[in-house]
Amino acid sequence: MQWNKKDIEQYIEVKEYVDTLVIPLTPFTLNADKEMVKQASQAELMEIYAKEIERQFTGRILLLPNYTYQTVNETEEKRLNEWINYSEDNPFKHVFFITFDHQWKKVEKGIEGNLIWLPTISISEIGSQDSVKLIKEQVEQVTELIKSYW
Amino acid sequence: MSEKKQQVSRRQFLNYTLTGVGGFMAAGMLAPMVRFAIDPALQPQSKGDFKAVAQVDEITNEPQRFDWTIDQTDAWYESEVTKSAWVYKQEDGSILALSPVCKHLGCVVSWQGNSDYPEQFFCPCHDGRYYKSGENVEGTPPPVGLDIYEHKIEDGTLYLGKAKPREGA
Ligand code: FES
Repeated sequence: MQWNKKDIEQYIEVKEYVDTLVIPLTPFTLNADKEMVKQASQAELMEIYAKEIERQFTGRILLLPNYTYQTVNETEEKRLNEWINYSEDNPFKHVFFITFDHQWKKVEKGIEGNLIWLPTISISEIGSQDSVKLIKEQVEQVTELIKSYW
Repeated sequence: MSEKKQQVSRRQFLNYTLTGVGGFMAAGMLAPMVRFAIDPALQPQSKGDFKAVAQVDEITNEPQRFDWTIDQTDAWYESEVTKSAWVYKQEDGSILALSPVCKHLGCVVSWQGNSDYPEQFFCPCHDGRYYKSGENVEGTPPPVGLDIYEHKIEDGTLYLGKAKPREGA
């Protein structure tokens, strides 16, 4: 389910079936042109992934809005952990953070939820046949991974 | 005994084919008249409703998944939406295209998605199950069977339209 009125109204009716949160982590920069382009294109890609994962598991996953941040640091790490505690009380069993940002990989041990780090695929055109195939394959791997936690 | 069974099914098959052809011709005759009757505003929509999804000769007795995209327009955006169907040839030779969207809460089901239930569709979210026909297995969460896509075949290509709930569902 997605973070929109229609889905959330349904979620409220069937809470006991929805036990998994997915939160995309997307960084942003404003002072380095190249980096901005890279981040923006990864954010586009992330939207596709997140939607596709949500589509596969609509009835069991709640996809939250993107979390945006500048750099991975202790404050951010702490915040993630706070969410995990909060969501476990409310009452989600699984929390998955999904990101292309490898900085998270380094602090993964300190994060209490599950971090899904995806290597970026460099694609010139998101809509092209090849990239669709590639994305599908990656999404399949992620959905398999999520299933293995259930 | 098995011969008898076969005969019946062959006759059924023939029967089906003939009705099929007859129905097709009738549709051909009716179409021009219907076209006049339909409000012109509705025409473009009904034309665009069907999408080419697969070649008929790719379709086997085993359900296979086919994906395609449609353009969806709401008040603000036009976006591409991915659709999928599980498609196979039934015993009588006709094609069945099932929506993969679980009738419980909407996850995507897969054919033989769980090795404990080899001849069924399986929903990974809450272990919902469906028989090959798409009917729901009693005692699992889905209350009704999978939706069925409207389909038509033209020049060896399978076109799918809207997924419709089953009768009586
Ligand atoms: S969504 Fe398929 S069993 Fe619940």
